[in-house]
This record gives sequence, C-alpha cells and structure tokens, in this order.
Amino acid sequence: MTFFLKVIIRPTGIVALRALPQSKMRTALRYIPPTTLIGAIAYPLLHLKGSRTETFYNKRNFRSAAENVLRLFNWVTVKIEGKPRLYGSLLKINTIYRGKAQSAVTSFPFAVMYGEADYSITAIYLINEEELSKGPYTLRDIERAAWGMVRIGSRESVISVESVKKGKTEIEEMQETRTAYAFQFKDVEVEGKGTLQSVVDWRSGIGDYSKAKHIIMFYPEGIVTVRGNLKVAKCGEEVIILAS
Amino acid sequence: MFLSVGVRFEANVEALNMVETAGNYTKHRRVPYLVEEDGKLKTVYVPALSGESLAHAYQEHLAREALSIGLPVCDDCRRNEFFKSMNKAHLKKKIDPIPEDPKKIEEAIVKACVIEDVGGFLYAEKPPVRRTSAFQVSYALPVKSAALFATSEPQLHARHAQINASSKKGNVSEQMIYYVETGTALYGFTFNLDLDAIGVSAITSGPILEEDEIKARREVALKALFRMLSSSQFGAKLSRFFPVGGITELVITVTEHPFVVTSPIYNNYIDRTQKRLAVLKEFGEEYFFTVADENKVPEEALKEAIDYLREKGAF
Repeated sequence: MTFFLKVIIRPTGIVALRALPQSKMRTALRYIPPTTLIGAIAYPLLHLKGSRTETFYNKRNFRSAAENVLRLFNWVTVKIEGKPRLYGSLLKINTIYRGKAQSAVTSFPFAVMYGEADYSITAIYLINEEELSKGPYTLRDIERAAWGMVRIGSRESVISVESVKKGKTEIEEMQETRTAYAFQFKDVEVEGKGTLQSVVDWRSGIGDYSKAKHIIMFYPEGIVTVRGNLKVAKCGEEVIILAS
Repeated sequence: MFLSVGVRFEANVEALNMVETAGNYTKHRRVPYLVEEDGKLKTVYVPALSGESLAHAYQEHLAREALSIGLPVCDDCRRNEFFKSMNKAHLKKKIDPIPEDPKKIEEAIVKACVIEDVGGFLYAEKPPVRRTSAFQVSYALPVKSAALFATSEPQLHARHAQINASSKKGNVSEQMIYYVETGTALYGFTFNLDLDAIGVSAITSGPILEEDEIKARREVALKALFRMLSSSQFGAKLSRFFPVGGITELVITVTEHPFVVTSPIYNNYIDRTQKRLAVLKEFGEEYFFTVADENKVPEEALKEAIDYLREKGAF
C-alpha cells in the first residue's frame, strides 16, 4: 500500500511558469510540471524542520534544496479544472546602451486562471514510504506542508490550499483506464482532448535545468481514456497513471 | 512565523499600473477574464496591477523604514532602483574584491542591504547566487463577483505650450493631446511575509546577522507593510491619478509555518480562510486571525497582528 495526498489548490488568478530554454521573448508553460509541484511542497516541508536552505553547492555544481525531498515522492501529477489561457502584456523597455537611447519591446507571459468559472488545481502526491521511513520527515509533516504551499511557479503565482486529503492506494497494472490527471505521453493511446507539453523530467533533479532531460506530458481536458501497459493508482474515486 | 494578508480595495479612476504605450495612448495593464456565454467562452479584459508593481512599492517603503532607524540599505536600493546585486558591477559596490565562495557573497549582500535580505536577489555571475524573496505578492485583480463591472476607460488630456509667432518653428504644436487609460474596480490581492527567512542564509540555513538586528529587520518589514497599506502609496501616477476609494476589507493570519489566506478575489475568502485555519489546530499549531471590515479599520487589524508577533518574540 502507498500513501497519497490529494491537494486542492486555488490560484490567485496568475500562474507564472517559465518555459525553458529561454530566448529574448519569454514563453510560458500553460500547465504545471511535476518539478514545480515538488518545489511547491518542498518549501513548507523544509520550513517545518527549520531549514532555510534553497541552494546547495557541490564544487561548481549547484542544486535546489527541493532535491532533498524529491525522493519522498514516487510520482506527482495534477488535474486542472478550466483551461488556463496564456497572456502577456507588451512591455516597452527604454535603455541607454553605449550612450544611445534604445527602445525594446518584450513580454512576460503567464497562464491566466481567472474567469467566471472557478478554476481549481488538484495535485496528487504519491509518497515513497521507504524513503519517508529514513527520516527526518513524517507523513504528518508532509500533510502539514501541503497546507502550507504558498506558490506554484515563480513570482506572482501565489496560491492557497483549500483541502488536503490523505489515503492509501495500491499500484496496479492494467491495459486501459480513464483519468483526468496529467500523465507521461509514452507508448500510450489516448481517446479524448488534451494538451501535450514538454516538461523537465523530475528524475533529472531540480534546480539546474540547463542539461536536464525532458519528457512529454499529456494534460487532459476533462476525462480521457488511455490504453497501453499502464501502471495506475486509484486515489479515492479517481485514477492516476504513473510515469514509466 | 509566517504572515499572510488578503486585501480588498476599491480604486476608482486610477492609473496604478500602465503598460503598452502606443504613441500618445497609455494603456492600463489588463488581464483576460473568461466568461461563458451560450456555451461559448468569451474573453473580457479587465484592469489589473502586477505583483511586481506592488512589490516595488513595498520595497520602497521598506527602504525608507530601514533607513529611518539606521539599518543598512545599499546605494541602488536607496534610490529605489532595485538591481539587487545582479552582476559584478553592482556587487562591487558592496564587496571588493568579490569572493569566490557563494556563502561569502550572500553574507556580504545581506549584511549590506535590508532590501536584498527581505526582497531577495539573483547574482547572475559565476558562481550564481540566489536568494528567494521573503515576501510574495499576487496580482491585484478585480474580485470575481464584480469583475464584469471593472472598467478601463481612456481619459483625454491636453498639454499646452506657450509659443509666440516669432519662435514658432516647424510643426511644433501649441496643444498636444494624450490619453491615459484609467481603471475602476474593486481589487483583491494577497501578500505573504516569511519572517523566519530574514537575516538567515539561504545556503547554510544559519543566521547571518545578530539576533537583535534580525528582530529590527523583521520589525521594519512589518512597518513597511503597514505604511504601504495605510497610506495607499503603491502603484504609478499617484500625483495626478490618486485612486478614489481605499481598503474595504482585509484579512490577516499569522502562523508558525507557511499558510496563505484564500485570495480575496473570491467572495467567501474570509470564511474559507477561517475554516482552513481551524485545520492547523490538528497539527498543534497556534495561529492568529483577524479581519478588518465595517467594525474595524485596516490599521487596527494590522496593529493587532504586529502586537501578536511582538508577543511571540518575533521582534
């Protein structure tokens, strides 16, 4: 049996996630990648133990402190109600370069989750109990940390956690399932609507993404049917597909 | 200790955050608001203030408060130019020669500037050194129930120049018209402040400063928030477009570990926040909660929160 946490999140309207690599004109991610979900829970989790470290250095390499809690999770995924819309105002930047006034136009796009309907983000964290037993955290700590998530992504992406439910699940193998949660798009057949998005493979680590591997994730719109050699976990009434 | 504040404020005819200047027309910042009509999604653009704009204002107040009690603020931040030790040229003003050890770089910056301690920095050289801001601000967006009543209207203005016939050259105009788009809305935004991060290293997790100075910096961080909200000194064009209105509601929580109030853009945000806070009791965590509404002014609520933090020994 594996513990899971189901976390319901309310955005404050804006989710700013930068797509990598960056060019002069930044692009934003529409959907939330697993690394961001781990980063979001890492901050309050480290806070609980009094750790303020956010970067650790190993000679010339530097990593995010979120890596210290990365192994506590077997898989993290997300379901989004309401389709985020990418938007960015055009910004005029006036600079003086080598004595000459110059003008440039740029934009900082982000995903807007704001409208008449109530947008909501549901994240599921599958907990690796073997890693958890090695300490220093308990399941209760992770649950409290989930209530303390403050941001999804960068800058103005403040969130509030509205509900945290914990439960136990079994990981099963099957050929077909229906899910509303994002999954890795690899050797599967999908029936239904959704968006493919390239994201950093969380197994590459968190922090320095310059050489990180990417995986393709499928973010469903509503519920989709997925076929293939699937590893699934039933979390309450819902099903998630684990990455291969 | 972690402070979270949800603010609702009414702003009529304001030009607090402008973008996209096109010739003589200055647009207000806007965001799309999605509305469903006959089964189809429709986009309505509503005025908004970026978190960056609010964060800039907060840091201006922080610089002023810090200087008023003799705490260090670097030259750039004193001028309200928040470059934040972004490269060697800016860092050299604080420490020269620049050390190679990231811990020493962080220590030098934190010791030299309260703003970079509280507001974070990114030294983008080798080795890169980053410190995440101890405070967070969301966008200020029209509250959802009244978002469709939010407007952004252009206002016509004219600038006059006195030109006599002999000095008139070329096509210099005696009048120049220009437009400023003004927004009117009931806005909501969230502000968080992680007091435990102030004066503490983001690399070693140990304190960089003496306990007394850490407490003094926490106090000015709270005072700056009080000042910013109480004076409505945030956003642009205050000299001629000072918004008509003010704070209508405010909710404040103080918790031992991170916890964020439900965003005030939602109608049930006060009740939701209170119910969610009650869960923290199960974790054996104490908390503080107060609301400013018809019976309590925002300044009273903010003072209660500051008094609670003082009682708890935060400063």
